[in-house]
Amino acid sequence: MAKTYDFLFKLLLIGDSGVGKTCVLFRFSEDAFNSTFISTIGIDFKIRTIELDGKKIKLQIWDTAGQERFRTITTAYYRGAMGIMLVYDITNEKSFENIKNWIRNIEEHASSDVERMILGNKCDCDDRRGVSRQRGEQLAVEYGVKFMETSAKAGINVEQAFFTLARDIKAKMENKLASHPSKGGGTQLKKNEPQKKSSTWKCQLL
Amino acid sequence: MYGKLKKQMDCKRYYPALKTLEQLEHTYLPRVSEYRFTKVMYDQIVRLRDGIKEASMSDLKDFLENIRKYSSKIGEVAMQHVADQHGLDPTFVSMPEKKRKAPPPPNPFTGEAEATVTDQETNIYKDGDEELSAQELVDFSPVYRCWHIYNVLGAGEEFESYYRKQRKKQAKLCLQPATNMHETLDGYKKYFHEIIGFFVVEDNILHTTTGLITSGYLDELWEMALSKIVAVLRTHSAYCTDPSLMLDIKILIIFFCHTLEGYGFPVTRLYGLLIEIRDQYNEILMKRWKNTFMDIFEDDNYTPITLHYQAEYTAIVTIFPFKDEFVEKSPFPKRFPFSEFVPRVYQQVKEYIYACLKFSEDLNLSQAEIDDMVRKSTNFLLTRTLSGCLSSLIRRPGLGLAQLIQIAINTEYLEIACIHLEEFISSITGISREATHVAKLQGKSMFKDARSHAEQQIYLALNHKIDEFMELANYEWTLVESKGHASGYLMDLVAFLQSTFMSFTNLPDKVAQTACMSACKHIAESITNLLLDHDTKILSAGAIQQVNLDVIQCEQFASLEPVPGFTVGALQMTFSELRQILDLAMSDDWSSYLADFGKDRNKYSLVSPQTAVVLVEKISNGMKKTGVFTSMKKPEKERKKLLETVLKQLRALVNSSAMM
Repeated sequence: MAKTYDFLFKLLLIGDSGVGKTCVLFRFSEDAFNSTFISTIGIDFKIRTIELDGKKIKLQIWDTAGQERFRTITTAYYRGAMGIMLVYDITNEKSFENIKNWIRNIEEHASSDVERMILGNKCDCDDRRGVSRQRGEQLAVEYGVKFMETSAKAGINVEQAFFTLARDIKAKMENKLASHPSKGGGTQLKKNEPQKKSSTWKCQLL
Repeated sequence: MYGKLKKQMDCKRYYPALKTLEQLEHTYLPRVSEYRFTKVMYDQIVRLRDGIKEASMSDLKDFLENIRKYSSKIGEVAMQHVADQHGLDPTFVSMPEKKRKAPPPPNPFTGEAEATVTDQETNIYKDGDEELSAQELVDFSPVYRCWHIYNVLGAGEEFESYYRKQRKKQAKLCLQPATNMHETLDGYKKYFHEIIGFFVVEDNILHTTTGLITSGYLDELWEMALSKIVAVLRTHSAYCTDPSLMLDIKILIIFFCHTLEGYGFPVTRLYGLLIEIRDQYNEILMKRWKNTFMDIFEDDNYTPITLHYQAEYTAIVTIFPFKDEFVEKSPFPKRFPFSEFVPRVYQQVKEYIYACLKFSEDLNLSQAEIDDMVRKSTNFLLTRTLSGCLSSLIRRPGLGLAQLIQIAINTEYLEIACIHLEEFISSITGISREATHVAKLQGKSMFKDARSHAEQQIYLALNHKIDEFMELANYEWTLVESKGHASGYLMDLVAFLQSTFMSFTNLPDKVAQTACMSACKHIAESITNLLLDHDTKILSAGAIQQVNLDVIQCEQFASLEPVPGFTVGALQMTFSELRQILDLAMSDDWSSYLADFGKDRNKYSLVSPQTAVVLVEKISNGMKKTGVFTSMKKPEKERKKLLETVLKQLRALVNSSAMM
């Protein structure tokens, strides 16, 4: 079977209900926007292939329901994630304050070296802003993660956010391979094998 | 004598003038016949007579010209009168009041504003006409005079044919509407006013002259006009896309009919036309409602309605017939099983029925006819418009499972509500829905079809998700040894299915079972296809092991009853063929396969010889490949030989079964 990608990264979107996780994902995967709020039931995912440094990377992005009643179902997906987007709504202070709780959730359920990023969504609604850019930035600095304000509606920074997260995951992975040559040895050997058309392998943290 | 004649001519008293002339000719001139000037005067008389004829004709021509101008006003007044009698606001049928003209610019030489003659004229005209009947608006005397003169002069026929010819020309002109008539109601009014004006004038001529026109002639003229009117209205109303304009046009046509009926003109064909226009009105309504439905679907959040207060609850149950004890008794916030579009769609169907009825008012139809019409067009709305909207909603790409499931549930409640729509129609038309001749609403079956369509899409959407996982599958077909655990993509897939079936608690059992069954079948097919894919020529033992580990996961998923209500083993059955293929490939049990082929107790009954051929080819290829690096050992050579023999026999089996 011919492989269509070099890496598979699994990303996860979390945050309060109604902050726009599904819309951010819809903007990234479909480059479209739907203004009607349709709350996510349980869990869903979209796949988009991007190219980084000449490598084809499949991003399987899991979209979780923000509602409390699906918490048991959604936390099961933390462990497999290599990158997590924490999303809040800049017009909704509560959703911003809850980011701390979401981070606690990550610490509890996700793999320890998971890449994280904070997104302040709905930045097109500046007139209704309840959380300043600085406060968002401040929180990100405290947790040592990257931060961006996005707008799924206006298509601001969505593409950049996912590319940034993917690039960071890729860098971290390559670092790991470099520092543990024995672990990655098998893969490198395969790379030189004449029969293999391309060395493609899947990176997973299970 | 001559002076008297001159005076009479100037006062347009043509008949006395003619009498004077006659007197002159027959009484006075013979008395003086011996004089030479008498001869000259005789010659003059002929010329004078022609002069009188011409003068009266010129007056008639003025009349004809004027009547063109006034007949629209005559028509308007006649129509207003009828409207008033029927209790309709007369301004509905009249032209809007013309705005007073801006005062004329001051005279550039004197700087004074001058009242123009036309201004004065319109003022007089307006003030005087309000209560006047049509006949009083126009002075018919030029016609009478001229008709009389011509008769006296023995040219009655000549005049009659002239008059009729001119008026026919005028009739043609007024029957030809302005090309943009359909754009406004005023366009229609103008058209009707002119026609009524024309026929009121002719009717007056018929009754006030003897023989200038006959009732036979007028009937014929009306018949011709009626055909033209029907054709014109048919064409122009077809351009109309605004239902409220159509309703207004309908009222105008009805009053047009009433007015002409009052003068004894038959108008039955126009009522027939109104029925045609009604169908078209219904079509326009349906187009409108199509947009309404699409908007409703666009706005919906496809989430069960949550109600926080009694007022919210009451608001919905008053517009939508839903009774459920459980919901009624449960505390706030209550939840309805359906989303917002259910009550909104139901309400809109009712609105449509009201709108349909509006056109049937005043059409002289029986209740039974109205009932029949309402049911028929409601059926059209349901089976064409709403069904089409639902179908395009369901097929909309990117629609999530959640929405599809909600749509399926919604259609169920709309289906139940159909009976109330039937009752609703009966309550307004007064025709019981049990009556034998009554057409039943086809809403129930339409919603049923829509639901099964939505359910089909649920299965497809789930399969589509599975396909996305399958694209992540990454089998190494030359793997020497399996990884020892199932593939990541498959673990994710199984987990995804589990959480999906856990999350969609509102999914009806039957749909959940079918969805689960179809998902398992789809996974089994997809893995089988990967395994037998013609593009990969090799199948190593390690790869088979890996697939086996993955299929074990699937079988476990199936045995854990992700959805309740399956008979034991039913779901696992979906993986049986794949299981047999893997067992056969792993056990190398080709002798059994060949020996038991076609027998009752065959362990590999589901594996077709074609499949077996592909398997053996791939396994055998895998051995060749490894042979490139290492020289084949004896047992391997023997195995290779065995596989070649098996392949030969399998191919024979394929051929023989192909011949059967």
